Amino acid sequence: MEAFLRYWMRWPSVEGLIYKYLWVWGVCQSLHFVGMVLLIGTVGILDLRMLGMARQFPPAALKKLIPWGVFGFVLCLATGLFFVTGIYANINVHPYVVLKSDVFLQIKFVFIVLAGLNLLAFYATGMSRAVDRLAAGEDAPPLAKFFAGASLFFWIAVMYFARLIPSGKFQP
Amino acid sequence: MMPFLEWLESTWLSTTLRDSPNIFLYPTILAFHTLGLAFFVGISSAIALRILGVAPEVPLAPFRKLYPVMWIGFVFNAVSGLLLLIIEPTKFLTMVDFYIKLLAIGGAVYCNRVLYVRRFRNPSAVDPNPLPAGDKALAGLILFLWAASITAGRLTAYDDPYTQWKTAVGTVMVSAVLLAGGYAAVTFWRLVRHGSVS
Repeated sequence: MEAFLRYWMRWPSVEGLIYKYLWVWGVCQSLHFVGMVLLIGTVGILDLRMLGMARQFPPAALKKLIPWGVFGFVLCLATGLFFVTGIYANINVHPYVVLKSDVFLQIKFVFIVLAGLNLLAFYATGMSRAVDRLAAGEDAPPLAKFFAGASLFFWIAVMYFARLIPSGKFQP
Repeated sequence: MMPFLEWLESTWLSTTLRDSPNIFLYPTILAFHTLGLAFFVGISSAIALRILGVAPEVPLAPFRKLYPVMWIGFVFNAVSGLLLLIIEPTKFLTMVDFYIKLLAIGGAVYCNRVLYVRRFRNPSAVDPNPLPAGDKALAGLILFLWAASITAGRLTAYDDPYTQWKTAVGTVMVSAVLLAGGYAAVTFWRLVRHGSVS
């Protein structure tokens, strides 16, 4: 298993790109931030509306902004995958070692998964449809507020632990 | 200038923050800088995109209620940014890129304020159809200035101007390709879906 992961986690063409072009890493980092901005600027606003802020927004209309948030998340996922598979070229540590030993990176992943499960539950419990029926000024059901609060909490945790990743220990 | 910066770097606050054995301290200040950015730039960009014609179903007026969240985000950034600056003043205040970042942020904050006064202050006339071309230009300028701020901010992580310059040029190239690709994709999608570009 370890040999398999060690083989597949290092991506030679990504590493090559980072070795060859000085600017690739920095550009991907900026794009990671742009993705984050799009995600919080769309999903975050819908969460705040469900929690009772700016209630004059009909939630169904706000959902028209969500594709931009999905695009932001894909941007973060693609650049994040780039950082993991190409990290050897940046700090000379194997991605397998980083993933296995950096507890902050692991916590970040846990919170991303929790945010995803929270989204699934938001749809599965019918809260998404219930929120769609809300007109301007109407209050969201308590369960929808719970999912909205959880979503904000999980994404803030993702950003917080992301900043701790370089402080993690990389023990081979 | 330099003696002042060296003095600043030797103050109690600077040395305490810099030499603290607590591994959480510095990343936590950085995290607050990131969180403030996410909410300030996130909401500001959503408003700018809406004014540029994205998601016309979303009413413009309620965005007014989100301005306090934006300004709280900005305060987070200003305070955490000052602390990060005090940790390494001789690095940041001798870097051209850092002044570019400050100018871009100052411009974006000013444009957001102007947009608020023009668009949101009079509740009865928030959302005319079509929106004035001047407001659309302002929204485009805000998005450009945020992109410039984020890029210049990322570049402060490098200490040699050559890498900074290369990365800046690379960012412009990649952004141009992404924007052109996105525009082509949206145009193609509209053509297939509606049979016309408009």
